[in-house]
Amino acid sequence: MISTGAKKQIDAWIAKYPKDRQSSAVMQALKIVQAENGNRLNADTIQAVADYLNMPGIAAQEVATFYENYNHKKVGKYVIRFCHNISCMLNGADDLIAHLENKLGVKTDEVTSDGLISVKKVECLGACVGAPMFQINDDYFENLTIDKIDKIVDNLK
Amino acid sequence: MADIEMEIDGKVVSAKVGEMLIKVTDREGVSVPRFCYHKKLSVAASCRMCLVDVEGAPKPQPACSTPVAQGMKVHTQNDKAKASQKAVMEFLLINHPLDCPICDQGGECELQDVAVEYGSDVSHFSEGKRIVSDSDIGALIQTDMTRCIHCTRCVRFGLEIAGMMEMGGTGRGEHLKIEPFLREGIQSELSGNMIDVCPVGALTSKPFRYELRSWQMNSIPSIARHDLVGSNLFVQTYKGKVKRIASADNDWINETWISDRDRFSYEGLTHKNRLLKPQIKVQGQWKQVSWKVALDYAVKGLNSHVLKHKKANQLGGLVSSTATMEELYLLKKILTEVGCDNIDHRLNIKNLDNIITLDSNIKLDALEKIDYALIVGANIRLEQPMINHRLRKATKKGADIDVLNVMEFDFNYPLNAENITAPNKIASTLAGVLKSIMTNNVQELPNYLATIEVDEVANNIAVKLLNSSSSVIILGEHIINNEDASAIANLATIIAQSTNSKTLNLSITANTIAANLVGFVPQNSGMDVNTMLASEMRGFILLDIYPQHDFHHLETVVKAFTPDDTFVISLNSFKDDIITGYSDVILPIASVYETSGTQFNVNNDMQSYTAAVKAPDEVKPAWKILKVMADLLELPGFHYADSTQVLAEISHQPHTKHTHDGHINFTNKHNGIGVIWQNSPYSIDAVLRHSSTLQKTKIGQMNSACMNQASAEILGLSNNDKYLGVPVVITDTVADDCVFINTNHAINIQEQA
Repeated sequence: MISTGAKKQIDAWIAKYPKDRQSSAVMQALKIVQAENGNRLNADTIQAVADYLNMPGIAAQEVATFYENYNHKKVGKYVIRFCHNISCMLNGADDLIAHLENKLGVKTDEVTSDGLISVKKVECLGACVGAPMFQINDDYFENLTIDKIDKIVDNLK
Repeated sequence: MADIEMEIDGKVVSAKVGEMLIKVTDREGVSVPRFCYHKKLSVAASCRMCLVDVEGAPKPQPACSTPVAQGMKVHTQNDKAKASQKAVMEFLLINHPLDCPICDQGGECELQDVAVEYGSDVSHFSEGKRIVSDSDIGALIQTDMTRCIHCTRCVRFGLEIAGMMEMGGTGRGEHLKIEPFLREGIQSELSGNMIDVCPVGALTSKPFRYELRSWQMNSIPSIARHDLVGSNLFVQTYKGKVKRIASADNDWINETWISDRDRFSYEGLTHKNRLLKPQIKVQGQWKQVSWKVALDYAVKGLNSHVLKHKKANQLGGLVSSTATMEELYLLKKILTEVGCDNIDHRLNIKNLDNIITLDSNIKLDALEKIDYALIVGANIRLEQPMINHRLRKATKKGADIDVLNVMEFDFNYPLNAENITAPNKIASTLAGVLKSIMTNNVQELPNYLATIEVDEVANNIAVKLLNSSSSVIILGEHIINNEDASAIANLATIIAQSTNSKTLNLSITANTIAANLVGFVPQNSGMDVNTMLASEMRGFILLDIYPQHDFHHLETVVKAFTPDDTFVISLNSFKDDIITGYSDVILPIASVYETSGTQFNVNNDMQSYTAAVKAPDEVKPAWKILKVMADLLELPGFHYADSTQVLAEISHQPHTKHTHDGHINFTNKHNGIGVIWQNSPYSIDAVLRHSSTLQKTKIGQMNSACMNQASAEILGLSNNDKYLGVPVVITDTVADDCVFINTNHAINIQEQA
C-alpha cells in the first residue's frame, strides 16, 4: 500500500519528532501517500498510514477529514481550492465561486468531464491580505476578479 | 498536596491545591451542570456547560478544568454564571432534535435534565437543524448521531479505558461527527459502557431499543455472575421481566464499568429454550407434572435406587461454577446427611491428581498499583475483562507486563515481552525462573532444579521479579489441563514467596471460590468427579450442568449418567437434549437475577443479592427446591424461611481451606501435541449461550482451533478442515506442539491418541 520511496520520505519526517512520537508525522505521511495514490485517500490508504505510524485508524481518519488538503473523492489534475472564509467571503468570494462553477460546468467537489479541473471550497488559507483568493495545486492566486479567474483557468491545459 | 480554603457560593470549604473545581463542588454537593466531564475520564473542557464565575477572572471559567487555589471565591449561581450556562445550553440545543418522546434516553437524559434547569423556552436560532447519518456500529449499541452533542466521552472512553480508540470526531465545524472508522463496528469487550457515559440519546442499548420508557422500570441493585469480579450493577425490570442492565459504582470492585458480558447476558433469560415446568420420565416417556409430583418422584427415586439399599456411597452430586453459595451449601448438606461424600464442582479437569492450588492474595484496587506482572496461560482481556482493566491502568502508570502463553492474544496495553511457549515447556520455563532467582539469592537449589537450564526468557522474568517492588504472578485458565498444572502452580507460589510477589489465580471463574469455601469437593474418602464417572453409580443430583459444554469428555459423562438403574435428578434452567436423554427428573431452576444468593469474588468479598424478578412460569429458585427435597427426605435441620438464613448458617461453619503440599514433580518428558480447550468468552455458561445479541458479536462468534503449520502437518490438517468439529485456523501465532481451541459450540474432546 505504501511504496518504499514513500516510506523513506515518511521516515524522514518521523525522524524530526521525539522517539515514540511517530504519529506526529501523520499530516505529512497522509500527504505523501495521497500523492502516490492518484491524489486522493481512501479508508485503506488511511489505515495503512495509521498502521505505519502505529496509531489507531480513526485517529488518522480524524486528521484526514479535518484538513481540506486531503481529497476523499476523485479530483482533477488541477485542484482549485477556493477560500470562502470570512475575509474572502466579505470580498465577494461566493459570487466568484458561482462564476467559476458556471464557467467550468461543475459544482463544488466535482471534476470537469475532461478530468482536468476540480473545485473545492476551503477554509482560510492564511492569505487574507490578498482576498479573495484561491490555491491551484501548490500556487496561490490573490486579489481575484472575474477577468483574472477566466485568464488563470483558460491557461490551465 | 496541602489543604487550602476557598469559598463556593459564600460557603467556606477546604480542598487540595491543584484539584479541579468541579471535584470540589461535587464533593460539597453543589450542583454544576456538565456534559463532557466524567469523573473517570480525562478533562476535555469542550462543552463549556460547567462555566462558573470565579472572582477576579474576567470571564466565566469551566469548573472541570480550573484548578483551585487558596482564597478562591467561586459563584455557581450568580447572574454571570447563570447567564453563561444558559447561553451554552442554547448553543448545545441548536442542532439537537426534539425527538425526546421517541428517544430511549428520555427520562434519564443529562441534556434533558440540564435543559429543564438552564434551558430557555425560546431559541434565537431559526435556521434548519443539521442531520447526521447513522452508521451501524455493531449488535450492541444503537446510534442516533443527530442527537450527539460532541462531548467526546465515548471517544475518550475508547482511548483511555477500553484501550482501543474506536470512535473519533471526523470532519470539522458544522460537519464534525462522532463515528467509528471503516464501519466495521465496535469490537471492545467493554463497549457497552459507552451507552452509560453518553449524556444524550446518541448511543443507546440496541437490544433495549424502543422497549420501554426508562421511568417505567424498577432498578434493583445486583451482582454480575459471569466472572471472578462480581461487578455491581442495576437490574432494570418491568412487569417481572429483566429489560436492561446498567452499571453501578463500586471503586473497590468494578469502579463504574461493567463488561459487555455482564451487561447483555440478561437476554438469555427469556430464550425459548428456558425450562418452565417440572418433568419426570415414566417408562421412557417425559411427562410435565406438578412440583409435588416431580419432587415426590425424585425423592422416591432416590430412596428406591440408592438410600433403601444403603448405597449412599453410590450417589454423586455435581454442580456448575455458577451455582450460588447457598445452593452449594444446601446440596452438600443434603448429601452429607444421607451419608454421601461424593461431591465435586471441578468438572473440566482431566486429571484431578494434578490440579492448580494457588491463592489469590492481591485485591483488585492493588492490581493497578503493581509495577510488574507475569501472566501465565491466560487470554486475560476476554476471560476477565475487569481484571484486565486494572492491569491496563497499571501499565499506564509504567508497570511492565510479561506474558507466558501458548499463543499470541490481543492485549490492549503494550507488553514488555510476549513469550510464546509450547504447553509442555511452561513448567520448565518457570523452573528456570526459580533457578535464576535462587542462584541470585545464593540459595541452595532443590533437586528438581538441578538439571533445569535457565534460558534467556526465564532469566529476564527472574530479573524483573527481583527488581520489582510490587509484582504479581497471574495463572490463567489455559493451565488447568496442562500436564504440569500442579507443578506450575507450586512453582508460581514458590517464586512469589522468594520475590515477595503476590499471586492471582484466574484458572477458576464465576463462583468457584465459594464452592471451595463451602468445600464442595469429595469429603472423607468420597469419590471425585472423574472417579464417579468411571464407577457404577446408582444416582446423581446435578445442579445446572450441561455436559457438552462443562466437560470435555462428553461420551464418558453420558455413559455414566445413562444406565437404567442410575437415577438422575437434573436441576437446570435451559432445555437440552442430552440432559433429557439421561435424566429421570428435570427440575426447572431460576437463573441469574431470578434468585437470591451469594457470590465470592477474587477480593474475597462476599456479595449477596436478592432476586430482581420472579422466575418465569413454574420455575423455582434452586435453594428452595433443595430445601423442600431435604424436607421430603425427612432430613433434620432444613427449616429455612429464606436464603439469608442459609447464609447465616454457612457463616458459622468453619471454612474449608485447601492445603498446599508444595510438592513439585514434573517430568518434562511428555511429547506430542497439547490441546488447550476453552469455551469462548460468551459461551462459558448457559445464560450467556442463550444471549442472542452477544452471540452475534465478533467475540461471541469465536470458534477456531488454532495451530501453526508444523502442528497442522503433524495432525494432517489444512485450513479448511475441522479439528474436533472446530474449524482449523493455521497461524504462526501459536506455539509449537499446541492446538488452541476457543469455541462457542458444544464439542467433545476425548483423550487424544
